[in-house]
Amino acid sequence: MKISMLVATACLAAIPALAHHSFAAEFDGKKSVKLEGTITKVEWTNPHIWMYLDVKEESGAVVKWQCEGGAPNSLTRAGWSKDSLKPGDQVSLDGWLAKDGSKTCNTRSVKLPDGRSVFAGSSNSEYK
Amino acid sequence: MGFRSSISSAALLTLLSLTAFAQSNGFKPPEGPVPRMADGKPDLSGVWDHPFVGDMTKSGRDQIGAGELPFTEWGLAEWKNYNAEDGDSTGACLPHGIVRSINAPFPVQLVQNNKYVSFDFETDNWFQVVPIDGRPHRKQIPTWAGDSVGHWEGDTLVIDTVNFNGKTKVDSIGHPQSDQLHVTQRWTRKDLGHLALEITIDDPKAYTKPWKNTRIFTLRPDWEIMEFSCEENNKSLWEGRIKPPKN
Repeated sequence: MKISMLVATACLAAIPALAHHSFAAEFDGKKSVKLEGTITKVEWTNPHIWMYLDVKEESGAVVKWQCEGGAPNSLTRAGWSKDSLKPGDQVSLDGWLAKDGSKTCNTRSVKLPDGRSVFAGSSNSEYK
Repeated sequence: MGFRSSISSAALLTLLSLTAFAQSNGFKPPEGPVPRMADGKPDLSGVWDHPFVGDMTKSGRDQIGAGELPFTEWGLAEWKNYNAEDGDSTGACLPHGIVRSINAPFPVQLVQNNKYVSFDFETDNWFQVVPIDGRPHRKQIPTWAGDSVGHWEGDTLVIDTVNFNGKTKVDSIGHPQSDQLHVTQRWTRKDLGHLALEITIDDPKAYTKPWKNTRIFTLRPDWEIMEFSCEENNKSLWEGRIKPPKN
């Protein structure tokens, strides 16, 4: 599995605000991240879903990441369910890093290898 | 307060055109005249979708922002010194207060009879029951959401809210409010599918004059209010990435 991680510091035009609190309280809109890895667990819970994934770095080391998604209420209305993303799924995910330097991110979109976007635009649809 | 608030025709047309644009994604709200109660008053009941307003100064889909705010010295200092990293009440699952509950990106169900209108917010499942039978404000301890009473001015339901504890902000980006906040909501059902809100912020401690934000709600007969437990998995707080508020 090809794994890559890119952390950029460029400002992005559309930084989501979180549903129940300020985005800036936890995440840095100037630090975007792109991850490729394997889903190990999905917590389909309020106030946000959480996706856990193993990301293999170029050194071969596997690093565990956790990434926040939208609220299950909004995702349900957008047609998704707790089974839309399952452990073992290979995903490409992009979003923004947590400010505390941990392996934590806020998710903008998740893509499966077949090109389908799961929870695509979850932030955008939620923060409409 | 000498600040006559009404949604202008131009603003309403702008909002409705924005709504029409936003609804090009496929959903079409029901069409028809304003439904009415047995006493002839407009019936505001229904599950309503509405814009997320994280910054009440800015305009966006279905809403018109206030623009530059008239801060007092205290209000400007609060605004300049606010840093969500230092503590965030909503991130700690504390109450949003009435303004942020309305601003939130989740639907609200209104239930009405001739004495009350109930606002059942999906966000954190907060609610507020507003008497609309002409009674005065209650005298009680200040609260996050304040004390609301309503009355009809023609076909517009006017809700007046005071008695806030001043512990939250008026929006997610952190514009200040104090315990002197006075909120006026003017709700007007424009037709079967649309409900207009003009919300006025009058807080003499934070702002030198009142200011307002207007928005359009869209009826969603196909939606129901869902459970929303903020405490269920608020791991950002538990793991220390979000700090609780200091007050």
